[in-house]
Amino acid sequence: MKNRLLILAVVAAGLAACSTVPDRNSALEQARSRVNAASADTQLTLLAPEELKRASESLRVADQAWRAGDSTRQVEHLAYLAQQRLTIAQHTASSRASQAITAGAAAERDGMRLTQRGQEADLAKQQLAAAEAAAQRDKASGVAQAERRDARVSELEMQLKALNAKKTERGMVLTLGDVLFDSGQARLLAEGSRNMLKLADFFRRNPRSAASIEGHTDSVGGAEANLALSGQRAQAVMAALVGLGVPADHLNIKALGEAMPVADNGTPAGRQINRRVEIVFAPQADEVSQR
Amino acid sequence: MNTHRLKHARQLLLALTAALWLAGCASTPVPVAEMAVAEAAVKAASTSSTSENAPAELQRASSKLATARQALLNKDNEQARILAEQAQVDAQVAELQAQSVRSRKAAQESQDAARVLAEELQRKTVR
Repeated sequence: MKNRLLILAVVAAGLAACSTVPDRNSALEQARSRVNAASADTQLTLLAPEELKRASESLRVADQAWRAGDSTRQVEHLAYLAQQRLTIAQHTASSRASQAITAGAAAERDGMRLTQRGQEADLAKQQLAAAEAAAQRDKASGVAQAERRDARVSELEMQLKALNAKKTERGMVLTLGDVLFDSGQARLLAEGSRNMLKLADFFRRNPRSAASIEGHTDSVGGAEANLALSGQRAQAVMAALVGLGVPADHLNIKALGEAMPVADNGTPAGRQINRRVEIVFAPQADEVSQR
Repeated sequence: MNTHRLKHARQLLLALTAALWLAGCASTPVPVAEMAVAEAAVKAASTSSTSENAPAELQRASSKLATARQALLNKDNEQARILAEQAQVDAQVAELQAQSVRSRKAAQESQDAARVLAEELQRKTVR
């Protein structure tokens, strides 16, 4: 009796592989629960339905293999495939969600830009209207401003006239004559120095003034020598003025030599007149008067 | 008394099992198609982006493929087939994970850009 039982046990063990009720396979169960949970994931079912279906199919294949009593190794392998296909579905859904966000953000930016352009157009219109209104106001006050400018210019001219400057097309011109210099030299005499004081005072009272200091000679002697001499005299004047506090960058030197006579070089008187330094006051920057 | 018969039964069972097992081994064909597919899949997944964004997954795929090749050499066709099928799906997982990472970064950047633009517009209109 005992032997028969033993035989039965052995046979039963041998037939275990072909049993119709297989042992639970933990890998399969894991796969099953994951796939079931995924079916409840709305984002997944919405964004990766095909991939989810493929994972479910793989699970079914694994389940069938298990029921058919396939080897544990095979069942675990098929369960693994099902799990990986589920992961694929999840990554696919995630990618598509991100792509939707990107598209949405791009659309949002386009929308904002359109709105912005609309706002910019409105703003531009506003600014244009404001500018036009300001222009109208300026026109009215412009007349008053021009009158004030003219008054100022006249005052300057008066001051310069007091210095014996003359109004020319180049501007107000102050002429320092030959007698103010040592004969044939560039050194200023006392008389010349007094003029410098007056000039420096003028610059102090009119700080925005600028002048060009232009040296001239008669035609006696070589043109080159005269050019040099005219330059030296102009420099002497500039040095004197700067020494008296006139800002150097308001002064400009020109050596013109014998090129621009104002009198006849044929007579001694004429030559003397030609030997001069001219200080030319250009019209100031804020003067709109046509010179 | 019947130990002899028991012994016989046991031996028969053992022989039968061994025979079946051997038969199983011999009947597994060489997984030519599975290997080819796996090779192609792992190769396709081996991009710089994938190795950057899914390094572990890509590594898993390529080492399973290497083990599959070894199993083939050892004439273990069943093992080779299983590993090849897994290597293929592992390669796909790696690729799609990398894609997911890239898409997420792009989405973040686009949202940041939209926010920056919104802030800029705010400033402009306030002025």
